[in-house]
Amino acid sequence: MGRLIKAEFRKILTTKLWWGLLIPTIVLAFAWSFGVGKLIQSIGDGIRSDDSFQRLGISVEHLSLGVFALSRGINIATIFPMLFGALGLSSEIHRRTITTTFLTAPNRMVVLSAKAITYVVWGLVYGVVIAALVAAGTAAGTGGNYLPDAGGFLLILLAGVLSCLLWTLLGLGVGALLGSTTGAVVLLLIYAVIVEPVADLFLHNSVVGFLPNGAADGLTGSTAGQILIDQLQSLTHTPLVQVMGQHDWDTFLNIVRVAAGAIGASDWWISGLIFLAWAAIFFGLGLFRNQQRDVT
Amino acid sequence: MHDGSGRIVVQQLTKQFGPVTAVQNLSFMVEPGSVTGFLGPNGAGKTTTLRMLLGLVTPTTGSALINGVPFTQLGNPARVVGAVLEAQGFHPKRSARDHLRVYAAAMGVDDMRADHVLGLVGLGGAAARSAGGFSLGMKQRLALATALLGDPQILVLDEPANGLDPEGIAWLRSFLQSYAKAGRTVLISSHLLAEIEQTVDQVVIISAGQTRYNGPLDNLRKSQQARVFVQPSDANALITALREENISNVEQLPDGRLAIGGVEAKQVADIALKAGVSIYGIEEERVNLEQLYFSLTNGQYTAQGQNPYGGPPNGGGWGGPPSGGVPQGYQQQPPSGGFPQQGYQQQPGSGGFQQPGGYQQPGSGGFEQPGSGGFPQQQPGYPPQQQPGYPQPQYPPQQYPQQQGYPPQQGYPQQPGNGGFGGNA
Repeated sequence: MGRLIKAEFRKILTTKLWWGLLIPTIVLAFAWSFGVGKLIQSIGDGIRSDDSFQRLGISVEHLSLGVFALSRGINIATIFPMLFGALGLSSEIHRRTITTTFLTAPNRMVVLSAKAITYVVWGLVYGVVIAALVAAGTAAGTGGNYLPDAGGFLLILLAGVLSCLLWTLLGLGVGALLGSTTGAVVLLLIYAVIVEPVADLFLHNSVVGFLPNGAADGLTGSTAGQILIDQLQSLTHTPLVQVMGQHDWDTFLNIVRVAAGAIGASDWWISGLIFLAWAAIFFGLGLFRNQQRDVT
Repeated sequence: MHDGSGRIVVQQLTKQFGPVTAVQNLSFMVEPGSVTGFLGPNGAGKTTTLRMLLGLVTPTTGSALINGVPFTQLGNPARVVGAVLEAQGFHPKRSARDHLRVYAAAMGVDDMRADHVLGLVGLGGAAARSAGGFSLGMKQRLALATALLGDPQILVLDEPANGLDPEGIAWLRSFLQSYAKAGRTVLISSHLLAEIEQTVDQVVIISAGQTRYNGPLDNLRKSQQARVFVQPSDANALITALREENISNVEQLPDGRLAIGGVEAKQVADIALKAGVSIYGIEEERVNLEQLYFSLTNGQYTAQGQNPYGGPPNGGGWGGPPSGGVPQGYQQQPPSGGFPQQGYQQQPGSGGFQQPGGYQQPGSGGFEQPGSGGFPQQQPGYPPQQQPGYPQPQYPPQQYPQQQGYPPQQGYPQQPGNGGFGGNA
């Protein structure tokens, strides 16, 4: 296994794909969170004068609205680790290096396991890069205002890193399942960028949270939302649920999560588990298909 | 774990791709210490068989064992068997050295091996170049270098001569022979006997997914049954005289000559002299190995039995086509004594030749030039003078049969469902 992981790392490092995909990742992570950060700054400045918040005893300038820029920046940038994973096995099938890969490994199960470990590590690398760039983009976009404290930052960025490596694993599984680079890339992109966002408009919120994209967004979005809600809670003396009433509270939670880019998401750890399950399902299917496939 | 014998055993292997049977009940054995040729026309199932042997394709039924176990149980397979397969790819942007270092890591050999094998196959100077810029021949060498990386006991090569220049083929030949002499196993496939005739000691000949012959090439060579063409003053007198000597394998040709099987020219001349028949011309026919191979891989021949030309075996006609008779004998008693030929004669697959293809009536003037053998229809695509000289290094590349590509419809019967596999074209 160790030998094959070493081989997989060499495969990645002797070609240009890893940094070829990292460049747009960096650009998009920074640009997106910068843009959202700018938006947050103008919205924040707009509602600062609003009476309703002041009546609740909340000073808007202390709210870390910037968490939304973090979670949305992460969610969009995870497209690239997903694509990187999707090409992990399918490009070997496409270039027919898979023959040699199988001929030099004890069996296919070990090949895909080594790839899974390798690509999870690379998902981590992408995740760390994305986290750093999203943090920088948010800080620059909001002009240093509305930012969460260090703990909040870290929590969202950790959720983002976790999301990245799960996306990489899911991509790897889809690539192994389809066995085609074009098929895997097109399918994943169309699904993540078009199908699910459009479906989200028609589906019930509770369903959306269980879809792969929704669950992944929930992982970071709910973390961000939770930070903001905890903060709101700490600023008032009575529990907000009591102030608002259960129904309004649920609506409010939803609004916060939608603002964080996670429609219909559950708590961050539930969304995380749902997304983990999706990644495991697709990786499992890829593993199964890979065992059956005749390499001709 | 494997037994380290270096033996390859293929047992009743069958592969069905949807409705198409690529390999049918194939059995043969490959022993270490010699180069074994794996022969068959394009689409015969060679590539599929080799890929099943290497665990890349799952057999429908049967098994293919290396050192007594399936490929996936070899542990670190690349240290036991190295393979050069067609359609084996390289990342176009990865250098040859990096390519080898990837797989050196996978099989756990020292990185130094990468440069060592590159030198071995003559790519030492191209180590830093991307494989995408390589010629076909260089890719073949790089594939061979990859196969050699693990210093394997067994080498399996699928059509390795494709794309190699004459010098490369000569080099490969001597390399493989010395590899086998060191007690290792070499299995090399080809669709051209001439291409590997000088390389191999043993041959496995398959056609339509079934084994036709499995044994030493020398036995195949010795089986070349020659006929004698003679122009007598009195054909009937000579036939009668021959009958008295128990020689009944005589065919009267349209041009008035007699074709006599199973005798030497000297014998015929002596009998004629004794019978008082003058001889105006006498010639010995040599059936060449390629024709023998051809008849072995032609399903129609074997399916229709001894005498597809129709004449009764002993009734004045000649007793069957010269090379047609030989494979019959082989199928019943494989000289190798090794593998029984799995009853393919009963298989429907080998009986499916509707059109006679290259084989027509003997009366079509086919024996006008005895030197060219009994199958003139094959000749256009396959000039006989190319065969002996082919593997010689000094041979100009454009005269390679495989590079010219003879039209398959001349050489091989049109067989439904048999053309799609193998990927050798």
